[in-house]
Amino acid sequence: MFLPAGSQDEIGNRLINRSKAYEIFRKITTDRNYKQISTPVVEYATTFTNKYAGMNLQNMLKWFNREGEIEVLRADWTTAIARAVVNQDSSQLKWSYQGSVFRSDKDGIESRQAGIEIVHTPSFLGESECLLTAVTYLTELNTDNYLIELGHTGIFEELTSPLQLTEDQLEKLRGAMHDKRRDVVYQIAASNGQEEIAEALTNLVDAYGSFDIINKYEKMWSDNDRLLNIIKHIKQLANLLKDSGVDEVLVDLGRVKNLPYYCGLMFRGFLKSSGLTCFSGGRYDKLYEQFDERISAVGLAFDVDVLAENLVVEDNLKKVCILATEASHVYAETVRKTYTNSIVDIQYEPTNLEQFDKVVKIVTENNQYKVVEA
Amino acid sequence: MKPCIALTKGRLEKQFLDFFKSLSYDVDPLVNKGRKLRVETDDFQFVFAKGVDVTTYVEHGIADLGIVGEDILAEFQPDVYNLFPLPFGQCRMALATEEGKVWPERKRRIASKYTNITKEFFKQKGESVEIFKLEGSVELAPILGLADGIVDIVETGNTLKENGLVIKEEFFEFSARCIANRSSLKIKRDELATVIESFRRGVVVK
Repeated sequence: MFLPAGSQDEIGNRLINRSKAYEIFRKITTDRNYKQISTPVVEYATTFTNKYAGMNLQNMLKWFNREGEIEVLRADWTTAIARAVVNQDSSQLKWSYQGSVFRSDKDGIESRQAGIEIVHTPSFLGESECLLTAVTYLTELNTDNYLIELGHTGIFEELTSPLQLTEDQLEKLRGAMHDKRRDVVYQIAASNGQEEIAEALTNLVDAYGSFDIINKYEKMWSDNDRLLNIIKHIKQLANLLKDSGVDEVLVDLGRVKNLPYYCGLMFRGFLKSSGLTCFSGGRYDKLYEQFDERISAVGLAFDVDVLAENLVVEDNLKKVCILATEASHVYAETVRKTYTNSIVDIQYEPTNLEQFDKVVKIVTENNQYKVVEA
Repeated sequence: MKPCIALTKGRLEKQFLDFFKSLSYDVDPLVNKGRKLRVETDDFQFVFAKGVDVTTYVEHGIADLGIVGEDILAEFQPDVYNLFPLPFGQCRMALATEEGKVWPERKRRIASKYTNITKEFFKQKGESVEIFKLEGSVELAPILGLADGIVDIVETGNTLKENGLVIKEEFFEFSARCIANRSSLKIKRDELATVIESFRRGVVVK
């Protein structure tokens, strides 16, 4: 039998690593006072496609229910959690979740995530807690070869606001910034004759790097309060990460939001060895406007598949095989319990014995069971 | 590890090598590569692939940078940084038909290698068409009666002319472009900065 593209059976270490990644995540978030929450796998499409969430229905796994409404498999955690959290006690500020999301535009239809959401919390506290939870989690997973990138939606918004572009032009310009497509960025931005702004936006395409970029732009934006506040905010968080032992903090001042609900800080983590994104998140107060709530909300999601792939398998448990019979099986089970911290199998007919470090046999002596080396 | 650059084989290959040579890079190992598809120079590792495969290698981070025609990027929309145009590989995308062809009074049939570009072009015009996907020699389609017209790239226009076709409408101007993997550009920024800068300016950057 053949599997659909993107579906796969999984065995062994891959599953062990994933459970381990989930387990460590649960422990760390519980210790940091997060409360666990889960949402159903099946939701109405509009939870994800409404104008606040802005996701593309095309990429979702969907069907019509009996009433003719479109239902989908959970396409994103953040939007589903927002829907669920507004109905919860507002004194609970920190939430954590773990489970799968389903989208046809990713490699593999199902991907596993673990994440956190922090609401009703002062901006710097919420963002710091998010980033430091990420650092603690990655450290606990022995994932030390990573870098964290910070960006901010306000930079693009501030620079483009005097351009008076149409909605369509603005989307094209955002797309060109997302692709770091210098020529098109300049072309669209300069179309209304504002060449100075077009130049500034084009330079922003290359504004990624470390503290050198932060310091350069802090000087450059010293006469624009809004941009200066943004860069100072980024610098404060970059320093927090540096002081917390993160080797490499990166900024990309030209990064733009790829979902409409991001508003403010955006961040993500890259594994240096593979270049894969191991977590991403940011501020999305706007997502809650659909529920007529004006609250502060920040969060991030880890890609558990990427993290599990990167985990080193610790396979150093001793493997023992007990050879028994139907009659001696109960006795063999009591013997099994004497081997602590070991992997113990019971067999009647010896099979693949070379995989075991030790093989023992239950024999009968004077009507008594006894264990001997096989 | 040396940065890896994926190059499009064929039409763009020679033009890139001339350009690369003009930037004072040593191109001898690339020119004399024989049938090898992977060549290492002092500074880089190069791989040679078909245009669309260049985008796949870059998207998945096997290659850090890629040199590819904009037609391929417009058609396949890979998830990569599409940095800037390069000063070679210029061509246009055009709708062409047989000379003197009268459009039939039914849904038109268009043959193309670029089905996504064709769909988008007619969608913008508000016209529904049937699209036939061909892999090459697209000019044959109207001559043999498979299609009423074609959408294809045009460099000099000679192939169209020799096959009795004329351009009805030109709608894109393309050139070769430098693309980058989304993570590599950040993670390997120090290793890539010089070569990106010299590609962009078309001059030697020390």
